[in-house]
Amino acid sequence: MSNSQETLKHVAESLRRRIAAGDPVSQVLRSDELRALYAEIPTLPADERAAFGKQVNQLKTELEELGAEQTESDDRRPIDVTAPFDVNVSDQKRPRLLTSDKGSQHPIPAEIGDMIDIFYRMGFNVSESRQIDDDYHMFESLNFPDDHPARDHYDTFMSEEGFIAPAHTSTMQNRVLKEYKHVLADGEDIRVVIPDRVFRNEDLDATHEHTFYQLEGVVVGKDINTGNLVATLQTYMSQYFRQELNTKIQPFYFPFTEPSFEFAVERPDFLRKDDSEEQKWLELGGCGMIHPNVLSHADIDPNIYTGFAWGFGIERMVMMRYGIEDVRHFESAKLDFLRQF
Amino acid sequence: MKVSINWIKQFTEVDLPADELVQKIGEQLGAVEEVIDIGAKYRGLHIVKVVSAEKHPNADKLSVCLVDDGGAMKDVARNKDNLIEVVCGAPNVRAGMSAVWLPPGATVPASFDKDPFVLEARELRGVVSNGMLASANELAIGDDHTGIVEVDVSAQPGEDFAEVYELDDIVLDIENKMFTHRPDCFGILGVAREIAGITGKQFVSPKWYSQLLEELQSKQGAVGLRIDNQIPDKVPRFTAVVMSGISIKQSPFIMRSYLARVGIRPINNIVDATNYLMVLTGQPLHAYDAGKLLALAPKTDQTLQLETRLSRRGETLKLLDGKSVTFDDEETILITSHDKPVGIGGVMGGLETEVDEQTTQIVLECANFDMYAIRRASMRHGLFTDAVTRFNKGQSPHQTDRVLHEAIATIEYVSGAEVASAVEDEVTEYPENNVIWITPAFIEKRLGMFVGADQIQTVLTNVEFNVHKDADGLQVQAPFWRTDIAIAEDIVEEIGRLIGFDKVPLTLPRRSVAPTDRNQLLDLKYHIREILASAGANEVLTYNFVHGRLLEAAGQDPETAHRLTNAISPDLQYYRLSLTPSLLEKVHANIKAGYGAFVLFEIGKTHQKFVMDETEPAVPAERERLSLVFASDDKTWSAHYAGAAYYQARKYLDRLCSELGVSYSVQTMNNHADSDDTATDVSRAPYDASRTGLIKIADEVIGVIGEPRQQVARRLKLPRATASLELDIKLLEKYATSKQYQQLSKYPSISQDISLKLPADRTYAEVHQCIRASIPSSQHIRYQVEPIDIYQPEKDASSKHMAFRITAVSDRKTMKDTELSDVLDTVATQADTELSAERL
Repeated sequence: MSNSQETLKHVAESLRRRIAAGDPVSQVLRSDELRALYAEIPTLPADERAAFGKQVNQLKTELEELGAEQTESDDRRPIDVTAPFDVNVSDQKRPRLLTSDKGSQHPIPAEIGDMIDIFYRMGFNVSESRQIDDDYHMFESLNFPDDHPARDHYDTFMSEEGFIAPAHTSTMQNRVLKEYKHVLADGEDIRVVIPDRVFRNEDLDATHEHTFYQLEGVVVGKDINTGNLVATLQTYMSQYFRQELNTKIQPFYFPFTEPSFEFAVERPDFLRKDDSEEQKWLELGGCGMIHPNVLSHADIDPNIYTGFAWGFGIERMVMMRYGIEDVRHFESAKLDFLRQF
Repeated sequence: MKVSINWIKQFTEVDLPADELVQKIGEQLGAVEEVIDIGAKYRGLHIVKVVSAEKHPNADKLSVCLVDDGGAMKDVARNKDNLIEVVCGAPNVRAGMSAVWLPPGATVPASFDKDPFVLEARELRGVVSNGMLASANELAIGDDHTGIVEVDVSAQPGEDFAEVYELDDIVLDIENKMFTHRPDCFGILGVAREIAGITGKQFVSPKWYSQLLEELQSKQGAVGLRIDNQIPDKVPRFTAVVMSGISIKQSPFIMRSYLARVGIRPINNIVDATNYLMVLTGQPLHAYDAGKLLALAPKTDQTLQLETRLSRRGETLKLLDGKSVTFDDEETILITSHDKPVGIGGVMGGLETEVDEQTTQIVLECANFDMYAIRRASMRHGLFTDAVTRFNKGQSPHQTDRVLHEAIATIEYVSGAEVASAVEDEVTEYPENNVIWITPAFIEKRLGMFVGADQIQTVLTNVEFNVHKDADGLQVQAPFWRTDIAIAEDIVEEIGRLIGFDKVPLTLPRRSVAPTDRNQLLDLKYHIREILASAGANEVLTYNFVHGRLLEAAGQDPETAHRLTNAISPDLQYYRLSLTPSLLEKVHANIKAGYGAFVLFEIGKTHQKFVMDETEPAVPAERERLSLVFASDDKTWSAHYAGAAYYQARKYLDRLCSELGVSYSVQTMNNHADSDDTATDVSRAPYDASRTGLIKIADEVIGVIGEPRQQVARRLKLPRATASLELDIKLLEKYATSKQYQQLSKYPSISQDISLKLPADRTYAEVHQCIRASIPSSQHIRYQVEPIDIYQPEKDASSKHMAFRITAVSDRKTMKDTELSDVLDTVATQADTELSAERL
């Protein structure tokens, strides 16, 4: 071992002891011994210089870390967690709630609350969705065979165990159909809406989020038809926007509905800039008559019962309502944003 | 899918104006994403005859031409013979040819979409050029810029270029997603048929497509071709033929122009012909250079041969796009020749057997592949070609021979080639489309609109369904290209769509007046939101997915969290194990933004690996949780608060529980025998045990409340005054009731204070419990015990003082002070015995 190596070893041990003994780390880092080590670096032969410099730096890092642990076992004493307030705290500084004017509910759950209130009045039950699910519920029970090109339209996140971050609230269709199918025997219809979070493997920008909210609706009964579907959406939208609005459907394709549609609602007055055709319709989501295979997966006989389903996104509604410019604000947890609601 | 209206018009009449057609297509076929006015690009271009082309006096590579526009153009300089002078740099310009002239004032079509370049009469090295003669590249029809376009159809000088080449066209881009189940609509023919159907016209497919042609089987030739389809389950049909006498050149200009306007780049006559048929019918084809195939064959067996088989591990193939694929799977469909790979079936051909300028003989393949195998291969190798887009929708095996027949005729026409072999056709058994039984009642039940049998028959027959009507209903058989029609509901869609869903009358479903049950868990969540928001807290939403570093910073093991295999970024790699770390992570930014003291809360679901749902064990359990964080910067804290921040979080817990009518306790962590409930443990990880308690209701732990460990605080840059809680909402739901009400007494209450000096290790809960227990129970007297002060003498760490106010009220009489002081004496005695407390 060279001389300098030996010095390094001694200094390291001595400084470690000082910290263990409780010397403040700031002092230890400014000690003469450590400075001497740094001073030695330029005096060494070129081939040893780099290696030695690195060792000295490592020692310094190590001492800093030891110092950090030192502050960790700091002045924080155990407290009596069973007490309502701490010892020696005057009345004026006792724990208290912030004033209610500071508080807010997040606009998305708040909007969902308004939406499901309308659906309760229309005779719907409300279920929440799952945020991690399996292939059966996300795809198979919805009539997506393995390797079907329809899967291309769902860029799903997958876990290592093969679970899926659901890309649509339809992942609950099979479950709610099974849960509520007993009402069919009583001659009632299944009516359920499912609001929750869904996930798509998309890059973030002002209008795209990988995490967003949808509201799914499912109605099944003996005489449920396409006219009922459009009438239900139109009634809901008119309630929601507090204005009588027309709804239209356009053919589309989903594996779990047959026929499938996209639906659009007339833009309500408060969102309308002019009378142009582009301004006339708001395209809001997908819908259709539930595919017989989806009913069969839930042990509902498609020869007797028919049904419809729809889904639409929540963020866009909230953004339109308040004029929010960037979808990324929703999950930012910025108080600048939250305290406006 | 881009479709040209002019191309459609070759198969059906289109009499609606473009905007009405677009609307109708949107309502009855699929959303039109874009309407492209092709004609606008080519306005004012004329066919001209080059009368003379002389070398430019001042430039070697330029020619000075005199062109005849038949007098079509006004306001242009002409010589005495009424000809126009144009300077041209193309080597192929010559007197006598017909060319495309862009007069002064015209926009160069290739520049039309961005940076439009408008021509003018301009001097080129001393000679004025009135506009220019156009190359294909300048016309945005392919990328050939080696010479000017030679007009290859008969046209008079001065004729409108766009009219001659049918470029006065509209192209509609219809959303592909709509056609996920419509293999036929990936062909012009299919879309033309639908347009006829929705405009109420009878469509008639061209004979070569709709009828089986005998002559194909009779084609013969001297060249031998062997086909060996080794995987008929993956390749239901494999058809091929040899064609000889090919001369490779550009395809006719009109073919190029049709390909270009629907987004396909023209290459040469053979490739263009196969692409043309693909765009027309949805059926991709592939041409191999026969000479190159033979070069791969062993010397001893110089037979043209194609086989299909599955890939072998370690095999490689260089594809047409220049990329090499090495197969690590045994399920990709390969086309091989003498066992050597020459293409990925239905995806892309190999480079080694590519048709090029020297090609004189080709093997033309027209095959059908299993749509699922094609999609798997495409995803596995990252190859997304026009062929994949069409094959993975499930093309019909019934069309390969018909399309091949038309392709042969097309190639004969564009290249002068002839069929040189028999048509080899390896066919497996594949079914005809089912006959589906349908009634007007079945359709009415699903559409909510009555459609009579006659109308059903008409609209379906218009799109070439085979419909047989009798007294009870209709037998419907879809044509072979509709591989998507399988069940009666599919017919319902066709009827609704072809008639128009806007005709369906709107009626709400009828229902009974029985109310629906509310979702109680959801109601509780909304109640919690209201309680906390009215207590000044702000609800946040944060992502389910977190960085592994956040888990580590919070003292959680990423190995216990579900990890995404395809996360967008490391920031979103893991399902979170609890909510607290996500909230703590949001504290620093808000402090920096200048918020002194605030409270954030979130209601969300958390997940943990291997913890499965109790009723549905196939999927992970979802814990419904609430987390809340109080944080304050140092300045705000010292000005308005004191002591540990823990008690701030506790204040919120108090408010929540009191509003929900729940009585809870907080138990020191070390007192609590470690629960084997691992999910709860995970949420405790960020908390400092010495300043944290467990939230208990009855005897059940429902959550944790406390301050973060120093390491967590440091890594998340938390202010010193940070405290949080996390609890299980489903457990809370079990106990939530409503606010507790005490009936009012007619008599006044009285209060007295008691102050106790206690050993320092006595907890508040012990003392409070002891006081409550030592107050005699009475049916008529209600006692309240309120803490007034807790005091730790600076000089005596071994003791602390607690003062309480005890209030009593009777519902029968006015209480006397002595009655209460007796109670206090009992309390003092009991506290002395149990807690070694000294009354002060």
